Amino acid sequence: MPQIELAGKIYEVDEDGFLQELDKWNEEFAEAYASAEEIEGKLTEEHWRVINYLRDYFQQFGIAPMIRKICKDLKIDMKKLYELFPTGPAKGACKLAGLSKPTGCV
Amino acid sequence: MKSLLKPADISVPSDSLCRIEPGDLVPLPAPYDDFNSRVPAPLKADRVKNLETSLDDTVAVCIPRPQTKEEEDALVLKFLSGLKKLFEKENNWTFLQQLTLSMEHCARCQTCSSACPVFEMSGGKDIYRPIFRSEVLRRIYRKYLKPGGKWLSKVQGDIDLNWTAIARLAELSYRCSLCRRCAAVCPIGVDNGLIAHEIRKLFSQELGFAPKELHEKGTVLHLRSGSSTGMNPPAAKDSVEFIQEEMEEIAGGPVAIPWDVEGADILLIHNAGEILAWPENVGAFAILFQAAGLSWTLSSEAAGYDAVNYGLWYDDVQLARVALRHADIARRLKVKKIVLGECGHAHKALTVVADRILTGDLNIPRESALVTLEKIVTGGKLKFNPEKNNFPVTLHDPCNVVRSMGIVEPQRRILRKIAPRFREMTPHGVENYCCGGGSGFAIMSGYNFADWRNLVSSRKKFVQILNAFENEPQDVPKYVCAPCSNCKGAIRDMIHFYDAEARSGLYYGGLVELIVNALEGMPKPIIRFGEKPSWE
Repeated sequence: MPQIELAGKIYEVDEDGFLQELDKWNEEFAEAYASAEEIEGKLTEEHWRVINYLRDYFQQFGIAPMIRKICKDLKIDMKKLYELFPTGPAKGACKLAGLSKPTGCV
Repeated sequence: MKSLLKPADISVPSDSLCRIEPGDLVPLPAPYDDFNSRVPAPLKADRVKNLETSLDDTVAVCIPRPQTKEEEDALVLKFLSGLKKLFEKENNWTFLQQLTLSMEHCARCQTCSSACPVFEMSGGKDIYRPIFRSEVLRRIYRKYLKPGGKWLSKVQGDIDLNWTAIARLAELSYRCSLCRRCAAVCPIGVDNGLIAHEIRKLFSQELGFAPKELHEKGTVLHLRSGSSTGMNPPAAKDSVEFIQEEMEEIAGGPVAIPWDVEGADILLIHNAGEILAWPENVGAFAILFQAAGLSWTLSSEAAGYDAVNYGLWYDDVQLARVALRHADIARRLKVKKIVLGECGHAHKALTVVADRILTGDLNIPRESALVTLEKIVTGGKLKFNPEKNNFPVTLHDPCNVVRSMGIVEPQRRILRKIAPRFREMTPHGVENYCCGGGSGFAIMSGYNFADWRNLVSSRKKFVQILNAFENEPQDVPKYVCAPCSNCKGAIRDMIHFYDAEARSGLYYGGLVELIVNALEGMPKPIIRFGEKPSWE
C-alpha cells in the first residue's frame, strides 16, 4: 500500500492518492494535500464549503454526491468548481475531503 | 526489419516483453499531431516494485510478485488446475463448446489481427494480435492437457510453462477489450475474444486475480451495497429525487419517477453510473416514458437500481450472482418485462448470457431500451421537432448491443427521424470499432492504465469520430451519441485526454437525451454544449 507524508504524518493511500483510512482525515491533511492537486496558496473559505459539503454527504450516504448537486446546493457553477479544484471535483475535491475514489461506471 | 515476437517468448524472463516507443503508435491527424510522440507514462518503480509488470510497462490486474520459487510453482499448478476445469463439462458447461472449437481450429491466417483496433493502432505490436494470447493458451492446453501432448508440442509449437508466462498471460487477457471484432471476421468462426474472456475467468475463479475495479470495487461492492458505485438504496433515492427536480425545470411541469410499483409493465434498470455521472439520461427516460404513458417503475432494492454486471467480463460465478438478483427482483415486483437502460454489457449479461441460468418464473422477458425507445419515437403518439437537434451527430455502436446482439437498426431509425444532421461512422453497425473502454477498461485507471487506454485501445474510435465530422467547422458543437455508459466513460476520457472539446468541438451523450431534446412542448433543451444550451 503506498503512503504519503503530509504535515509530518504518514497516511495510507491507494495508487491514485485517495486516503485509505477514512477516519484518519483531518483539516491539516486537506491543507497539506492542496498543492499536489494544483491549488495555489492556502485553502479558502470557498474550498472549505465544498470540502465540508462533500464530507457531510459522504457521511450520510457513503458516496460522493452528483457533481450537479454540489453546484446546485452550494450555488456555484461548474466553472467555479474547476477554478477551486483544478484537477476536478471527482479527483481533487474528493481527495482533499478524504473520500474514497469513486467506483463503478462513473 | 523488426524481429517478430513468438508465443514461446512469453516464458522468457525480461523487464518487458513489449515496449511502446515514441512514434510506434499509428499517427493521429492534425490538430492532434502533437500527441504522436506520446506513450503511456512510465510506471513509477517504487510504486510497482511488488507487482508483476513485465508484459508491456502497464498494469491492469496488478498481480503481487511471488516471493519464492515454491510460491511461483504453486501458482503454476493452480493455473493448470484452472485450465483443466475450463475444458470440463461440469465446470464450464456454458462456454465449453465455443472454447473447445476455438482451441482446436485456428488456421493462423491473421484475418483477426487486421480487424483488431488494439493491434492496428499499436503500430502492429505482436503481443496484441488476437491470436497471440490464444496461441499461448493453445500451446499450454495441448502440451499439458491433451493425450500425447509433450510429443504433439514438439511438432505443433512448444512453450515453457513458468510463472513469467502465467503472470504475463493474465495481464495480456486485459489488453483485449472483448469487442469480438476478430470473432466476427474469422473465416472459420474462432472466437479469440472468448479465449481472452476464458483466460480472465480462469485467473479470477481459480487464482483470485482480477482488476480491483471489476471485482473488489465492482461485483463484490455491487452485491454488498447494491451498486458498484457504492450507492445504497437511500443514496439512490436521494440522487434520483434530485434528478426529478432538475427534470421538472426542463419539462416545465411535474415529472414522476416511480419506485417499486408492483405489477408495472416495465422494470427499467439503469447502469447506476448514469444516476451519478449522466443524470440527464435517467431524467430523459422519465420524461419520455411519462409522455408516452408507459406503465413503468424503478426498483429501490439493492442491485435493483444498478444493471451493471461486471462478472460478464471476468467471472461466471459473480455474473450468475448478480444476474439472479436482477431477475429475482423483477419476479417479485411482478413486472411484465425488464427494460435495460443504455448500458451495453448489462444488455448482454442479462439478456443473452444469463438466459441459460434463468429458469421457470425467473425467465422474465428482457428488452433493450433502444427497442422501447424506437416504439415510442415511431409510435405516432408523440410529436418531435428535429430542427431542435440542428447540430452534427454521429452514432457509436456499443459492441455488446450491436455486434454481439444484432440490435443495429432501432437506434438508426430513431436518429433518422430526430437528428437531421446524423451521419454514420466508417465502418459502423456490426463492423463498428470498440470505444476502447470495453470489458471494464473504461473504469480501470490505476497506475498508467488510463494512458494506455486513451493512447492505444481508444485511438481507433477517436480517429473514427474525427473522420465522421471532418467536413464540419471546428467551432460547431458536435454530438457523439453513445447509448452505453461504459462507452460514454471512454469517450468522455478521450475527449478530455486529447483536448477535443476545444480543438474539435466534440461533445457526447446518450440516445434518449437526443429524443427528449427534440420532443415538442419542452420549454428547455436537455442537451447543453458546455454552458451553452443546444437550442433557445
